[in-house]
Amino acid sequence: MAVPRAKELINEPSCEHKQKDKAACRKAPEPGSSSGGCAFDGATIALVPIADAAHLVHGPIACWGNAWGSRNSLSSGPSLYRTAFTTDLSENDIVMGGEEKLFRAILEIAGRYSPKALFVYLTCVPASTGEDIESVCKKASRETGLPVIPVMAPGFVGSKVLGTRVAGDTLLKHVIGTREPKETTPFDIALIGEYNVSGELWDILPVFTELGIRVLSKITGDGRFEEVATAHRAKLSVLICSNALINLAGGLEERYGIPFVEGSFFGLKETNGLLLRIVERLGDAALIEKTRAFTQAMTRKTLQTLEPIRKRLLGKRAVLYTGGVKSWSVISALKDLGMEVIATSTRKSTEQDIAKAKELLGDQGILLTRASGEELLELVRTRGADMLIAGGRNQYAALKSRIPFLDINQERMRGYTGYKGLIRLAKDVDRALANPVWRLVLEPAPWEAAVPGELAAEV
Amino acid sequence: MDTGKTNAPLGIKDHVELFQEERYQKSFEAKRAASEMPCEEDVLKVSEWTKTKEYKEKNFAREAAVINPAKACQPLGAVLCSLGFEGTLPFVHGSQGCVAYFRTYFARHFKEPIAAVSSSMTEDAAVFGGLSNMIEGLGNAYALYKPKMIAVSTTCMAEVIGDDLNAFIKNAKEQGAIPEDLPVPFAHTPSFVGSHLTGYDNILKGILQALSEARAKGSPNGKVNIIPGFDTYPANIREVKRMLKAFGIEATILADTSDVVDSPNTGDYHLYPAGTPLEEALDAQNASATLALQRYSTLKTLEWVSQNWAQQKTLALRPIGVKGTDAFMEAISEITGKPIPEELEKERGRLLDAMTDSSAWIHGKRFAIYGDPDLVLGLTSFLMELGAEPAHLLCTNGDKEFTKEAEEMLSSNPFGASGKVYTGKDLWHLRSLLFTEPVDFFIGNAHGKYLQRDTGTPLVRIGFPIFDRHHLHRYPILGYQGALNVLTMVVNTVLDELDRKTDVPGKTDISFDLIR
Ligand code: SF4
Ligand code: SF4
Repeated sequence: MAVPRAKELINEPSCEHKQKDKAACRKAPEPGSSSGGCAFDGATIALVPIADAAHLVHGPIACWGNAWGSRNSLSSGPSLYRTAFTTDLSENDIVMGGEEKLFRAILEIAGRYSPKALFVYLTCVPASTGEDIESVCKKASRETGLPVIPVMAPGFVGSKVLGTRVAGDTLLKHVIGTREPKETTPFDIALIGEYNVSGELWDILPVFTELGIRVLSKITGDGRFEEVATAHRAKLSVLICSNALINLAGGLEERYGIPFVEGSFFGLKETNGLLLRIVERLGDAALIEKTRAFTQAMTRKTLQTLEPIRKRLLGKRAVLYTGGVKSWSVISALKDLGMEVIATSTRKSTEQDIAKAKELLGDQGILLTRASGEELLELVRTRGADMLIAGGRNQYAALKSRIPFLDINQERMRGYTGYKGLIRLAKDVDRALANPVWRLVLEPAPWEAAVPGELAAEV
Repeated sequence: MDTGKTNAPLGIKDHVELFQEERYQKSFEAKRAASEMPCEEDVLKVSEWTKTKEYKEKNFAREAAVINPAKACQPLGAVLCSLGFEGTLPFVHGSQGCVAYFRTYFARHFKEPIAAVSSSMTEDAAVFGGLSNMIEGLGNAYALYKPKMIAVSTTCMAEVIGDDLNAFIKNAKEQGAIPEDLPVPFAHTPSFVGSHLTGYDNILKGILQALSEARAKGSPNGKVNIIPGFDTYPANIREVKRMLKAFGIEATILADTSDVVDSPNTGDYHLYPAGTPLEEALDAQNASATLALQRYSTLKTLEWVSQNWAQQKTLALRPIGVKGTDAFMEAISEITGKPIPEELEKERGRLLDAMTDSSAWIHGKRFAIYGDPDLVLGLTSFLMELGAEPAHLLCTNGDKEFTKEAEEMLSSNPFGASGKVYTGKDLWHLRSLLFTEPVDFFIGNAHGKYLQRDTGTPLVRIGFPIFDRHHLHRYPILGYQGALNVLTMVVNTVLDELDRKTDVPGKTDISFDLIR
């Protein structure tokens, strides 16, 4: 049975050039402390956005029952990915083995929905009873003629990041290279790690179109199976805001000689920088020239649009608690808005990320390795920050503590990347800070404020 | 694309409006044409076919795949119950991911921070058992979060491995990971049997058992115990407390989640904002009676209470709708010997008055409902009081008992004659039913919005989870006041739908009336 052991995965060759960064994905969660999602969760985040595939979770009812439909990855076409399929293993299935049931479930779904492919996710229970879902998938694939792809990331192998990494490996192993594009262009790229949360991708794609760059494969936001499968024909892959998928980018390089660039679309500086790095790697002089002019014009224009909001945001201080590449790229975006970030987290961050974060934060900045909800709130208070920018997990505790809050993680409601995204970010930060509710909430009730006797005097 | 060549500011729209625009719609279409996607016509044909009787039969013959499940798992129920006790940290023994899901699930429904931890079992634990995770986990949790009680439940994985909670907890105490006198009640909560209701029941029984073992039975305290069951409406618990106060009765709520999952904004975040005081819970065995407000999430607990606490009465009621609430009032009055308070009688009168005002709009309307068993039964009974006709009662986690009770209820009521009961079915089955045997409205949780979109049937959101509308859980659906809220939601959904169907000027607006 080939459930990847965490250690093996991290020792994959493509991980090697980031030797120092291994710690980020190896760290086991600490028992008894409040921890994040499991590897299965990470795998679904990375793969479920493939919209024309069916995603079947092999396990007890609620691994998927508790999670389905809760991601904001959008599709411009098929919506099959939003339908939740699970084998709902019962006690009997577990005792007798659920492989047969899984097989029948695959056939039922294949027969009824004609998906482009089926992804089958392994969860803890069938993994610990040692079910061989890889064989089941093979057999079902033969039977149905469809790609049936096992995703071997049961929750217990580790964290969300690790699961995302497994997802990347799964694509390399089973998907990429299995289809050929109808045509290719000299400027074909694969976008890796952009899940189209709240339609962010749709702010980025027009930029590429404008420049004459074709996104051959979107991995996986608004993704289509066949498109993902042609990624091996890309001229360049672009790894966006993700350490977890470095394996995938590295694998494309090793197997198909596709170079990759890393970067982020958060903020002006990063967006411009990434675009330029992309065209430089594509190596066409005219394209580079065009991109230079474009980024300059867009910068001017964005700053101009931002001007009135920037005045209000100038000098506002935020605590940022997110992870990976975003731990510094969002700082860069906030700086574009004239804001100051007084602390950021280094969860899931690589040495490189941490170095960049340090540089952007300045001497006074605080690097948080891991902070509980209370510690974060405490930090906001003692350092006199104006707001907390973090993930949904900290949202309600922040609001309880009367701290303006913005969601920057998976659950964000609007897209914040690219030029337009930056303006949206500015507007949302501005709104979060200027919301009139805060005045009401922060003022004491009238009878609390009044010194006894004063009330009467006023009448 | 804005190329930056003009000087106009960048127009910013978010995805909600952006993609309604013509150019995006066109580009989506072009994409469909270019790829090997089936054409619009074929898609339509298939989607039409999924509305047929023939498809329904195929759909109901499905046995291996569950599509869009409408139930949650045991430890999720256990977590909610545990949260309802003072200073109690829900601790789930198993891999970390399950608990991360529970926390998000509750946080999104209640819009509150939710505390729960896991023992974060890993691959090694899967092979060698979870003892060391448990000991380390309990130790860490105690040191980090300083609870007064830790309530331990399990995920499927721990159950498959067969970890022995009792022995593990003892072990943790012996090794000094947690103090000897810290109450650590536990329950085995495998999700491959039962649902969140079973988990609620199991841990509540575990907690009551542990607490009453900690103290000998004393003299009667004259109170009544109320067990809300797996109730995701904090306002329900408050409503029941208010009713009992009107009676002048002291009650102990086991477990009181109301101020935990709906706490005031005071500027401070508390890990344990409220909950049933442990002192009160310890004294619960001395009450004169124990009433549960749900039957199917309290079966084992009630049985245990009636066997061990020797009280005047233990029973499950369902104070939803007029009859349901009446029965609750009578039971309280009988147990305590106190008369029905005038205040509540007036409330009942106002409810009846409202029902006479609106029932004409509801009378004869066919409806479907899905959700937890007690909710389905209670609401169906209330809607029949208004003359509505249940068509499909779907309860993924309903058992044989439930089917029997539901069928009896339907057959004994002239409005229930055409109603059918479905257990073990999912929302994809319900989708078929709504196509082949349409109804005027249906009741369900947030996932129902996709059924509303596909079938055009208006949805009344009652249940759990509700992620996509705000604050519904802050209004009770229990008691007379709750019935009034349900009535308001239902009648206004019917009227909204009527407006929607009659709002085309010059075509259908003959009945677009101001007065309804
Ligand atoms: S493994 Fe079991 S406990 Fe965990 S989420 Fe899945 S069903 Fe629930
Ligand atoms: S940790 Fe395992 S059992 Fe729990 S949700 Fe993740 S995959 Fe499912």
